[in-house]
Amino acid sequence: MNEIIEKLTTCIEFGKINQKSPFPPSMRGEVGADELTKQALEEGIKPTEILEQGLIPGMNAVGLKFSQGKVFVPEMLMAAKAMSTALVHLKPYFQSGEVKRKGTFIIGTVFGDLHDIGKNLVAMTVEGAGWEVIDLGVDVKAETFLDTLEKYPDSTVGISALLTTTMANMESVVKMLKEKHPSTKILVGGAPLNTEFSNKIGADFYCRDPQGAVAYLNNL
Amino acid sequence: MNKKQQFEKLLSGELHSTVLFKPILMHFAARFNKTTYGKLASDYKVLVESNTRCMEYFDLDTVSLISDPYRETSAFGARIEFIPEGVPKCLNKVIQNEEDAKNLVIPDIYNCERTRDRISGAAYYQKLLKGTVPVGGWIEGPLAEACDLAGVSEMLMNLMCDPDYSNLIMDKCMIVAREFAKAQINEGCDYIGIGDAICSQIDASTYDFYVKDRHKELVDHIHSLGAKAKLHICGNIEHLLPAISSLNVDIIDLDWQVDLHEARKILGDNVVIKGNINPVIIQEATSQHLESLAKELVQQMQGQKFILSGGCEIGVNTPITNLMKLAEISTKTKPINL
Repeated sequence: MNEIIEKLTTCIEFGKINQKSPFPPSMRGEVGADELTKQALEEGIKPTEILEQGLIPGMNAVGLKFSQGKVFVPEMLMAAKAMSTALVHLKPYFQSGEVKRKGTFIIGTVFGDLHDIGKNLVAMTVEGAGWEVIDLGVDVKAETFLDTLEKYPDSTVGISALLTTTMANMESVVKMLKEKHPSTKILVGGAPLNTEFSNKIGADFYCRDPQGAVAYLNNL
Repeated sequence: MNKKQQFEKLLSGELHSTVLFKPILMHFAARFNKTTYGKLASDYKVLVESNTRCMEYFDLDTVSLISDPYRETSAFGARIEFIPEGVPKCLNKVIQNEEDAKNLVIPDIYNCERTRDRISGAAYYQKLLKGTVPVGGWIEGPLAEACDLAGVSEMLMNLMCDPDYSNLIMDKCMIVAREFAKAQINEGCDYIGIGDAICSQIDASTYDFYVKDRHKELVDHIHSLGAKAKLHICGNIEHLLPAISSLNVDIIDLDWQVDLHEARKILGDNVVIKGNINPVIIQEATSQHLESLAKELVQQMQGQKFILSGGCEIGVNTPITNLMKLAEISTKTKPINL
């Protein structure tokens, strides 16, 4: 494999954003995802190859370590930041259609709940896995999910909740979306949830962690 | 023996088979008292009266001043919106860059409405309960408060990239935490809960580097003022337990993901473990299922320093009968003269 692509994978996995970034300490002073993506494009490496062989494997690697409890949220955030920095360089190729997304994923934290960390991690990881992500933010009403889904009808939807007090709000959102769009797949996640609850409210899948969401989406 | 004496005996190791009961109640307490969470969070009288009513009905063994994460954040200058049936909302990030952190003024907690309200709550508990029931105060831990001020994602990335900036924010949070703990103890709080929810999301070395010494400093400070210290971190903290074992906390809240048997081995016999039934189960399970789970837990922990509780806050929609079931199981372990 191309050396730049390999280095790019390492930068994403370990959250090395650019040369200025002091993180991770073991890569201090080295170039990061920002410079390497630019260099790869300048050397004529195809954007699709950069995405599929460089960036996505890096996000998959860190996502797997997160699922296994080997890294924690700050390391995931750094990896996601490195990923989003690299994706800035690929944006024109997404817009021109030269690089294709795997699909569209609409995500938000359910109404009544203001927590965003879990939702952000899933959004970043899914984006890093090659999906277009529409992040609706926190405290998202059922109507907002529905309006967005009607704008992007082939999307998959993710709903997050952190509190036992707000997870109950997911049921009405799922119900409304399924009534109008019965074939749309809906993923739910958050600390107090489990598969039993997901089944009970009519969602299609309970995501224990961001990597679980990616695995589910990739199998659709 | 009143509840306060009973609490003191539990902590000193003189209660061998009694299991106390104290779930974390906020929204539930408000609903139980036919009021709203917004009122409970914004008016100390509503908070104290709601908790006292729950204490009497469910025979709780302590009461608390916990309400939401934004008392100190408000004192630092954040605007807070009270939602009738939801957690108060913080409307702005007080710290958006290093300049903001440098310029952040340490507030006078007696002159800020939300911190003063909690201090008044401590005094009101003394007026109502006359020192017979242990009262728990509450402060935000340094990392949780830093996240409240700067944003969770931003602060967690700061930890990775900029130790000086991170330390600057947390040092300012510590000053307020110390003062706020002192004010609540001065008004009669028997113990202070240090809530540092986000710590479960960082690895052990980051906890050691940034947070552990600060937690120890708060515990020592609370002890020096004559009160007991409780640590509350939501989520799975099994990876942090070795570090926490050296903090000398009196009580530790353990969430449902933590294996209590393993935790006891790491933490030793001296700390009171409080926990840890999954609040979703407490809310959703039949009372028979819950009874069976709670009995098993009590059997496992009886004879140790233990307080029966949910792993975290009790959900607002929890059936009263379910909470009562937990109360009954605790009551059965208590001497008849209580």
